[in-house]
Amino acid sequence: MDQLVLGLTMVVVMFALLGSSVWVALSLFGVALVGIGVFTATEVGPALSSTVWGASNSWELAALPMFIWMGEILFRSRLSEDMFTGLAPWVSRLPGRLMHVNILGCGIFAAVSGSSAATAATIGKMAIPELKKRGYDERLMVGTLAGSGTLGLLIPPSIILIVYGVATDQSIARLFIAGVIPGAVLVSLFMGYVAVWALLNPDRVPSLDRIKMTFLERIAAARSLIPVVLLIIGVIGAIYTGFASPTEAAAVGVVLALFLSWITGSLSRESFTHALMGATRTSCMIAFILAGAAFLTVAMGFTGIPRNLATWIGEMNLSPYMLLAVLTVFFMVLGCFLDGISVVVLTTSVILPMIEAAGLDLIWFGIYIVIVVEMSQITPPVGFNLFVLQSLTGKDILYVARCALPFFLLLLSAVALVIVFPGLATWLPAQM
Amino acid sequence: MRKILDSIYHASGVLAATCLVAICTIVIAQVAGRVIDRLATVLTGDQIGLVVPSAAEFSGFFLAGASFLALAYTMRHGGHIRVSLLVQTISGEPRRLIELWCLAFGAATVAFFAWHAILLVLDSYEFEEVSYGIIAVPLWIPQSAMALGLVVLAIALFDDLVRVATGREPSYEGKEEALLSGEDEALFAE
Repeated sequence: MDQLVLGLTMVVVMFALLGSSVWVALSLFGVALVGIGVFTATEVGPALSSTVWGASNSWELAALPMFIWMGEILFRSRLSEDMFTGLAPWVSRLPGRLMHVNILGCGIFAAVSGSSAATAATIGKMAIPELKKRGYDERLMVGTLAGSGTLGLLIPPSIILIVYGVATDQSIARLFIAGVIPGAVLVSLFMGYVAVWALLNPDRVPSLDRIKMTFLERIAAARSLIPVVLLIIGVIGAIYTGFASPTEAAAVGVVLALFLSWITGSLSRESFTHALMGATRTSCMIAFILAGAAFLTVAMGFTGIPRNLATWIGEMNLSPYMLLAVLTVFFMVLGCFLDGISVVVLTTSVILPMIEAAGLDLIWFGIYIVIVVEMSQITPPVGFNLFVLQSLTGKDILYVARCALPFFLLLLSAVALVIVFPGLATWLPAQM
Repeated sequence: MRKILDSIYHASGVLAATCLVAICTIVIAQVAGRVIDRLATVLTGDQIGLVVPSAAEFSGFFLAGASFLALAYTMRHGGHIRVSLLVQTISGEPRRLIELWCLAFGAATVAFFAWHAILLVLDSYEFEEVSYGIIAVPLWIPQSAMALGLVVLAIALFDDLVRVATGREPSYEGKEEALLSGEDEALFAE
């Protein structure tokens, strides 16, 4: 009974704080303070300062600002300008033609920027005018951009996977490697959908679009993309072979990104400062949320709610499939209102013992939750990618959401695939 | 007064950025040391043993420094995220009341937190706690960065509380959306 009152109180406080626009990190601290201060005999203050200090000075977490900084530098280089012209010659023969630029461009850009909304915005700004000019279908254009923008959450180096790894004490290197195959599956699903759509609707795909270029000319057109792709492969490779930890790979990534922007002439005092200060702000925001989440986890531990929840779920004897079906719906509802990082830290504070009790692999669960969070980026009313495309195209949000619906369903089928074939996520890290 | 406060926020932001540069430098030095070591092993058969002492620990300390010292600077730039459904749909007096509530709650919570962070620093100083690594760093030094960052954030929140209470707009007003999407100001200007 007490437990129920306590749990309900904390849920109500949480929604009251978040709903009344209190900053996410401060809401987490607030709920935890109420949980410990009102319902336990523990002294709140010392628990707060020592927990947060312990959670904040972490070597693993240092990968976060480094990857964010690397992305900020590349973001300000010529990369985005060259994305369309560089990729177009390579995909012009596929059914669906230049529409694939959206998907591949988002995939590459997402890998470095780590932010799905920034990806959709940057690629969209570049591709929409070009595709419109050539007469491509507008709905598919908006849909591919909204959907592919979410790829960045999964393709390494993924910021949200670092957050999950730190919050759940899992190896970030393994999480990154685990995301590689599911990321590739998603890209194939998206490209496959566009190809099939194009074959079924030949009248809605412009035909006069074959770009005649020799192989060398194509390489030349893509010259500023190639180093970036190599950089990503290098980072993943160094982590996979165990030569470098994620933090080391990230710091080397920063230096290489600076080098790349220096040789392409986009490095200036101004761009350096902007990238560094941007990285400082973004990583501060995430680190503060993680600090709040760490304290909330401790507070939850004191209250015993997660333990009881785990026992309760255990007693219900749900099959793992049932449990995951329920969780998927739960995350999607949560994701309608919260951003991805908040969803991840909130749930890890509360449901992790439950996941462990159900016998689910925590690396696998990280990949699963990230794909579900990707879906939530394109569901109304709060879907950051929808907002971005809304402002880029000037259409209303429901139109954008309808365009994105096929990609939402593709993401849903990817979740089903990862659940039915867990090896998609667990096989590669097991080879490390 | 306005000028002094703004330069405090900015200075702590710059200090935080310096911490990020420090992390990068330490880690690069460590990687370079390892590469040279491996080359030397291949060439001469002997390890030189080039390592940056306590590199992981120092990176952690600088990370804490970067995260906490940047708090106020990030707040002033609207960098901390919130669920904005409510504040986006209301305006005028109700909006001002919500903003007052958020800032009052924030200032109180952070002040409480800052106070206990200071106590943690004093405790570590008194009991002469040091880190576990090869170089034993007195823990009160990196912990002061956390306390300082929280104190500055508390000041910044109180600063905005006074602004909103006296009928002006909060400093982060209008900067949030653009940052929320990880984008610069240009995106929504179109």
